[in-house]
Amino acid sequence: MADRRSLAAELAASWFGSDLPPHARTAFLELAVEREVGAGTEMVREGQPTTGFGLVLSGRVALRLHVPGRGQVTILTVEPGDIYGWSAIVPPYRSTSTGVAVEPVRALVVDAVALRAALRADDALAASLYPRVLEAVARRLDGTRLQLLDLFAGQVEASW
Amino acid sequence: MISATEAPAHGPGFLARKDLGALFALVRDDGRRLIGPTVRDGAVMLDELDGPDALPEGIRESQTPGRYRLEAGRPGRLFDHTVGPSSWKRWTFPPTVPVGTTRRDGAVVAFEPATPDAAPLAFLGVRACELAALAVQDRVLLGGPVADPDYAARRRSALVIAIQCTTAASTCFCTSMGTGPEVSDGADVVLTELDDGFVVTAGSRRGRELLERLPVRLATAEERDAAAGGVAAARAAVAANAGVAAPGLPSRLMAALDSPRWADVAERCLTCANCTLVCPTCFCTSVTQRSDLAGAETLSERTWDSCFTGSFAAVAGGNFRSRPQDRYRQWLTHKFATWVDQFGTFGCIGCGRCVTWCPAGIDVREELAAIAPPPRAVVTGMHLPAVTPAPDEAWLRPARVVATHRETANVTTLTLAWEGQVPGAGQFVMAGPPGFSAAPISVSRARRGAIEMTVRAAGPATAALTALGHGATVGVRGPLGRGWPLERMLDRNVIVVAGGIGLAPLRSLIEAIAAERERFRDVTVYLGARTPRDRLFVGELGAWSAAGIAVTETVDRAGADWLGRVGVVTHLFDHAERLPEGAVAAVCGPERMMEATVEVLRARGIPDERIFVTLERHMECGVGLCGHCQLGRFFVCRDGPVFSIAELGDAFGREGL
Ligand SMILES: Cc1cc2nc3c(=O)[nH]c(=O)nc-3n(C[C@H](O)[C@H](O)[C@H](O)COP(=O)(O)OP(=O)(O)OC[C@H]3O[C@@H](n4cnc5c(N)ncnc54)[C@H](O)[C@@H]3O)c2cc1C
Ligand code: SF4
Ligand code: SF4
Ligand code: FES
Repeated sequence: MADRRSLAAELAASWFGSDLPPHARTAFLELAVEREVGAGTEMVREGQPTTGFGLVLSGRVALRLHVPGRGQVTILTVEPGDIYGWSAIVPPYRSTSTGVAVEPVRALVVDAVALRAALRADDALAASLYPRVLEAVARRLDGTRLQLLDLFAGQVEASW
Repeated sequence: MISATEAPAHGPGFLARKDLGALFALVRDDGRRLIGPTVRDGAVMLDELDGPDALPEGIRESQTPGRYRLEAGRPGRLFDHTVGPSSWKRWTFPPTVPVGTTRRDGAVVAFEPATPDAAPLAFLGVRACELAALAVQDRVLLGGPVADPDYAARRRSALVIAIQCTTAASTCFCTSMGTGPEVSDGADVVLTELDDGFVVTAGSRRGRELLERLPVRLATAEERDAAAGGVAAARAAVAANAGVAAPGLPSRLMAALDSPRWADVAERCLTCANCTLVCPTCFCTSVTQRSDLAGAETLSERTWDSCFTGSFAAVAGGNFRSRPQDRYRQWLTHKFATWVDQFGTFGCIGCGRCVTWCPAGIDVREELAAIAPPPRAVVTGMHLPAVTPAPDEAWLRPARVVATHRETANVTTLTLAWEGQVPGAGQFVMAGPPGFSAAPISVSRARRGAIEMTVRAAGPATAALTALGHGATVGVRGPLGRGWPLERMLDRNVIVVAGGIGLAPLRSLIEAIAAERERFRDVTVYLGARTPRDRLFVGELGAWSAAGIAVTETVDRAGADWLGRVGVVTHLFDHAERLPEGAVAAVCGPERMMEATVEVLRARGIPDERIFVTLERHMECGVGLCGHCQLGRFFVCRDGPVFSIAELGDAFGREGL
């Protein structure tokens, strides 16, 4: 386990944390606990209330959807610097996919209820944290759109 | 017949109408077939003529947008018409010509180029605008790095007897394109018709020799004046017609790519391709195959194609110009803008054929005036350059498959024994299994004695390629095109981004870098595939890493057993705030993936000059002759397929180009 100082440095160096102002970083760090889990650990589960919002420091979290007949399909992996569990702060606060550590994962995790309360109480935190979360989610939306085109299957240009 | 000493030594001569038969006889004596205008099916057509009686005597044409009718002209005049639906390109660049034969005898495959059928011709009655059209096609088909051998043979052997116009149709606009009605260049003999004969001048040695053998006397001053007056009358008539404001037109037109008028004209255009078929300069072709029943012999033929046809810009999985407005825009911008970038002249010589023969009566002059309205300017002529012949195009060469490696369910790498020039990284070849059209395929590995190509079965030709076994023969032409700019990457950080089969042309780049690794700084390769099963060159990634190349992979989707990254390829580096300083990027994959990648690279501080992409377009010839692969002013086959984003500018990712 790393000490708070080195955690602060890791947060600042991460993609998610690098853009947050010092106040937001401090507030986030105060709420967060460092968590280390082994490969195979389920971090969030599709359809269930999201209990924690996490920033991956090392390792990889696979976001999976259950597809009847095909089993678990991985649609995205969360790499170091990126977040999982954004549904902790977006109604209805239920996870949209199942997040599984496919390698040993070290993450900074904030309890969902505590984070929501902090965001309500601290306007400055909310004003800097929400845009960064939105940016992360927007990138995924962008990526998902490209995946939808299934370009490598031979679609050079949609003909419709 | 008069003797050579009596032939006109100075100035124009005069040939009486009654002596025109002597010209026909002479031409025939020289072993030439004489082609000239004659009335057929209610129009003045070009065809083989037996004698002067076949000429359209006393006939004039009334031509307006979408309408053509024969009328009475001046009695006795043989050339009172202007231009009908056929043009000389039917003879210099016929609608169908054989390009070669593939013969199979057991395992032995032979490729034989066709020998041009060069029975010498004589063209009688070529108008000034049509001479300009021949000169335009000369630039296209003879002036580039590769010349069309069939065209070269036909064109060089044809004797050209021009006629200066003394009448004009309402659709003529040669004066605005600077191509007529006066004949200045490019004819062996020039005629100007008077009531009782022709004022004649020689335009070449061949023409002078011909005149010396004809009953030609010196023209009188009155005859010379009458001839000049006739041409001046034609010029005045054309000048009174609607025209095209040619100066500055290319830039005005390219600035109007988003004009609402494109959609408007597309409402009227039937995409029937009549305009391109009657146009004397349009040169786009496709190659088709015809096999005998036993499949032992396959004849490849080059046939006229048109940018108006639906499949003209189709590639596996899509069509770059699916909408009629894209096709009309391609045609008009090519004729009046990008042609100038490519060949130094307009692609239009102002004959008006496309105006007359458009069933919808679409008039290019009107469309141009609406889309790219003229500034107030004076119309000046354009310069038609002399022909510069280029070396003949090589036909397919047989190459033997010496190894195959199945990469995925539908992708196979073929190793071919190769004696030819070693291709550079990113170059491609035209490759066809016997009996199929050749498809453009990147060289995925090149060394002395062998090349590799990695082929995805996307359609008949590529499916046949992937099915080939050891010992099979493939027809190959190349290496072609401009590859990756390795020299720009020396002493720099290099970023390589590949999606799907796009890794094939990048593999040769990665290996070229690995071979001289110390000459480059950090090299990072980002790979995207559809699923884990679709990853290419899996067995080679370790060697790349061992050579000091950082390789990161991702797939679009995966099952629970895949522990690697999942997400689009940009996901691999969009969390980096900045990419390595001064990096050069090389990107290949589906066009939409490349667009997304370029956007992320730009946002991470890499300028357009240092982002290179390789483009896929429909290709038939691979050497800048068939017109299929055009993207704005570029021929992707010849000018690319690798381009920097800065070079492509607006053309990159724009719909319908
Ligand atoms: C520079 C370049 C490099 C390429 N490198 C590779 C490579 O390394 N590996 C690989 O697998 N593929 C490569 N391709 C794509 C490959 O050329 C096409 O998939 C192939 O031409 C399809 O031909 P087909 O006869 O198999 O299929 P078809 O059924 O003829 O074609 C399928 C689709 O492709 C279109 N098409 C037909 N002929 C051509 C043509 N000559 N060029 C482009 N599209 C055409 C058709 O209109 C149709 O929509 C490359 C293309 C280019 C332009
Ligand atoms: S574009 Fe029309 S007017 Fe111009 S050369 Fe072609 S057919 Fe003639
Ligand atoms: S412009 Fe006229 S001739 Fe050309 S494709 Fe359209 S309808 Fe046919
Ligand atoms: S011009 Fe024929 S393929 Fe490029």
